[in-house]
Amino acid sequence: MARRIASSPSLGLVDAAATAPVAVRGPAWDSRYTVLILFLPPALLLFTLFVVLPIGEAAWYSAFNWNGFGKPTNWIGLDNYRFVLETRAFWLALRNNGLIIAVSLLIQLPLALTLALMLAERFRGAVALRMLFFLPYILAEIATGLIFSFVYDGDYGLVASIWRFFGAEAPHLLASTDTAMLAILIVIVWKYFGFHMMLFIAALQSLDKNLVEAARIDGATRSQVLRHIVVPLLYPTIRLSVFFAIIGSLQLFDLVMPLTRGGPADSSNTLVSFLYNNGISRMRVGYGSAVGVILFTICVTFAFTYKRWFMRDE
Amino acid sequence: MSNVETTRAPFDPAVLYRALFLAAIAIFVLVPLLATGLGGFKSLGELRVNPFGLPRHWDWQNYADILFSKRYWQLLRNSLIISTLAVTLTLIVASMAAFTFAHVKFWGSSMLLSYLTLGLLFPAATAVLPLFIRVRDLGLLDTYFGVALPQVAFSLAMSVLLLRRFFRDIPYELLEAALVDGCSYIKFFRYVTLPLSRPILATVGTITFVNSWNAYLLPLVMLNTDELYPWPLGIMVYQGEYSSEWHLILAFITLTILPTIILFLLAQKHIVAGLTAGAVKG
Amino acid sequence: MRLLRKLGLAATAWLLALGAASADTTVKWLHIEVNPAQVKIWEEVARAYEASHPGVKIEMQFLENEAYKAKLPTILQSKDRPHIIYSWAGGVLKAQVEAGVLEDITDSVKSGGYSDTIAPAALAAFTQNGRVFGLPVALSQVGFLYNKDLMAKGNVDAGKIKTWDDLLGAVKTLKAAGVTPIVVGGADKWPLHFYWTHLAVRVGGKPAFDAALKGENGGFAGETFQKSGELFKQLVDLQPFQNGFLGFKNPQAVGYFGDGKAAMILAISSFYHTQRALAADKVGLSDDKLGWFDFPVVPGGKGEPSDTLGGITGWLITKGAPKEATDFLKFFISKDVQARLASGNFIVPVVKGGEAGLNSAFMKRIADNLSKSNYHQNFYDQSLGPSVGRVVNDVSAEIAGGSMNPQDAAKAIEAAWKQGN
Repeated sequence: MARRIASSPSLGLVDAAATAPVAVRGPAWDSRYTVLILFLPPALLLFTLFVVLPIGEAAWYSAFNWNGFGKPTNWIGLDNYRFVLETRAFWLALRNNGLIIAVSLLIQLPLALTLALMLAERFRGAVALRMLFFLPYILAEIATGLIFSFVYDGDYGLVASIWRFFGAEAPHLLASTDTAMLAILIVIVWKYFGFHMMLFIAALQSLDKNLVEAARIDGATRSQVLRHIVVPLLYPTIRLSVFFAIIGSLQLFDLVMPLTRGGPADSSNTLVSFLYNNGISRMRVGYGSAVGVILFTICVTFAFTYKRWFMRDE
Repeated sequence: MSNVETTRAPFDPAVLYRALFLAAIAIFVLVPLLATGLGGFKSLGELRVNPFGLPRHWDWQNYADILFSKRYWQLLRNSLIISTLAVTLTLIVASMAAFTFAHVKFWGSSMLLSYLTLGLLFPAATAVLPLFIRVRDLGLLDTYFGVALPQVAFSLAMSVLLLRRFFRDIPYELLEAALVDGCSYIKFFRYVTLPLSRPILATVGTITFVNSWNAYLLPLVMLNTDELYPWPLGIMVYQGEYSSEWHLILAFITLTILPTIILFLLAQKHIVAGLTAGAVKG
Repeated sequence: MRLLRKLGLAATAWLLALGAASADTTVKWLHIEVNPAQVKIWEEVARAYEASHPGVKIEMQFLENEAYKAKLPTILQSKDRPHIIYSWAGGVLKAQVEAGVLEDITDSVKSGGYSDTIAPAALAAFTQNGRVFGLPVALSQVGFLYNKDLMAKGNVDAGKIKTWDDLLGAVKTLKAAGVTPIVVGGADKWPLHFYWTHLAVRVGGKPAFDAALKGENGGFAGETFQKSGELFKQLVDLQPFQNGFLGFKNPQAVGYFGDGKAAMILAISSFYHTQRALAADKVGLSDDKLGWFDFPVVPGGKGEPSDTLGGITGWLITKGAPKEATDFLKFFISKDVQARLASGNFIVPVVKGGEAGLNSAFMKRIADNLSKSNYHQNFYDQSLGPSVGRVVNDVSAEIAGGSMNPQDAAKAIEAAWKQGN
């Protein structure tokens, strides 16, 4: 992932990255020792305490039927995993995560790429538009969710007023098992396309302009240049964008809560909101941990496979 | 925002299509935001018949009531405290670790770095129940630190990687010369590395700040007392209380996202660079 | 950087200051009441107690109902937990007792004959293995509240709705007349579970519930519960609810009823008054426009028509609470305060003599119903414990949303019951 993007800070000095770390003996030895003792443990401690151990504990707790009070004592082996897999809502959540990924790849990514190609050029308003499209990304998901629960509101929202304009009774998109997930997918595109667009713009700006120029001089048309030169050069960024879309989908939670809380009838849960609704808010530590372990396995398996298959060269 | 026509070739249909396309997307992005901000100026009755137009009467009362309420400022203050704790701790802890990984050679260095990198692979949500139990056992439930410390821990992987990459670009000759002059590693870190690394520290700080400022799940699980709630929790409570009084909720949303938008307009280049760079280089 | 450091220091100092602020005894009282008129009386009671007990401060905290249920398990684990919390008794209370997060207040309650002033059945709901962990405050009944104007508009005589088929008929008539028959807060799920569970009370009566608890007759997957789901589905198939009902939270739904937009609501008796606070105009429907009929009977059902579904609500004292918390609670749940709350029509009292305060025909009727009931079934989502109860809510919403059939719904509850906890 070595692509250094345009804004990357530079000291204007010779690249010294290849230089081996210092291993000077003598006067510096003491201070080197001190650094190791003082500088490393805080990070390792925090990381171990709050990231690594909890994952291990999740695996341990998932073998118990435990409500979180006292110590876990009721060992039930792998039953929690069976319970999770027998829950219809879990499979719905998994399907919804799949839907999010599909929409990210089939709609959001092409949209972001198209916009990036348009806005990477210089013209009046281009920078302003870039910023506008990026804006949703920095808004909190909670706020975004609330804004759209207004937009979708069957009595007050945009959707309602459009329907009323045509004289029909407005649908409550978020209240129907058929449309709730669709409504969330639209919000996801609204919120995240700008981020992916920015990734592509950053990549486009660091492309070797000479290649494009040369091709144009050789008589290639605009679309030929695009198809045969620009897009192939963007492959690493596309793979990156796909990676983020998938990891992002697996984490999605904040957006779902204000919109539907995973409802109606569990039709719009993601894996994390399923974990929250069925594990955390019911304090079923064992069951929730089992969901956590499943999610963890999916994330890690995906990350390793993806890196091995698609990002080998980086 | 529809002002996207270019100066050259005004009759090229491709340019026209492009302008229309961009305008459509701009409307798609803008309308919900504008409707939110304007909605706060309307009465509930007007909102129902005119959700997206300009208000007929600009009603400042909704905004004023919120701005003069203790609640609003308390939420922002809590968010600020938590985010500041998270940013400060992340910068200190991560830069120290990154410095060690960048400049000190020791056995197991790369192993420990890979260990930290594991944190990139999965979201905090996977282990949130055990995390809750751990924070509870540490007696940090319902405290700012109970939220900030896990946030720091989960941001460490990316932060250390970003900082280490930058620190390693600091010329080796500088460090060597300093060490020969009897300067210690720690002094070098304090007086050379950190001052030279302001841009990357700003980047890491921005990423951590935005993530912490917007975070919902961790505060939701760790905090119980509403006096400690950061704004994403507070706004959900507010929405629960006023369920359908959308004019109040919209005003409240507008005011809570306003700091983010102002900050974004003031420092857009740094924020965009920070967030995308964090993603790309992580 | 320097600014950040200063802010960090300031934050730490402020945190420390917070910890040192408590000098006198403060009793923290967490409630979920949305009706300001009732909260006002509570506050007056709290101030009166403070006046007669110098050095004690009663601090009221509020959480919205759904947020409260979701947060309660974590709240109870915090060292800073409130001392007095709201409870619906039942299996949730049992789980809390087993978890050891509640204070045993048996001795305090028994002393001076205080416990004798409380209706025994209500106190029993807050007793586990002979130990008392909280005090009941009110009883409630689930039944249909209706809007007399809208019923008249649809030419429905609510007094004649006695059986489930009568109700289905009324729904059809109302729909034909262009009136929204029923409003429900489907997003919160539990308002929907009232249908399914009250049908179970009618179809199977107490024997069926007791048998299911013991796992007999197929447990919760048995005939009674499948039948209840099927009857509920008959209603759902008529599309009796307001547009978008699965997206409505309960307060919205009650407000919708208060706004006069739907003819009926399957309500807890206290909604009679909360609809006023939740209506858009804060006035809601006046007494002369409101009617009530008990949940219709199911022909051939084993339940008695007098059986009731409803709540026994009260307050619990959490582990480690100061003794002033219990003392205040006894002060709060006394004949005078109960009579005062009853005269405001907020509660059906549990303290003997408190019912003398009841002055509305409606509340007297509910009190009368409850006193005649031989089988008062506590809300399923509370009585079956925290996780099974939630599954009952889940499947009720699924039946209402058409995504699960009654047989699978009953099986899902039985499966959750077998998983335990």
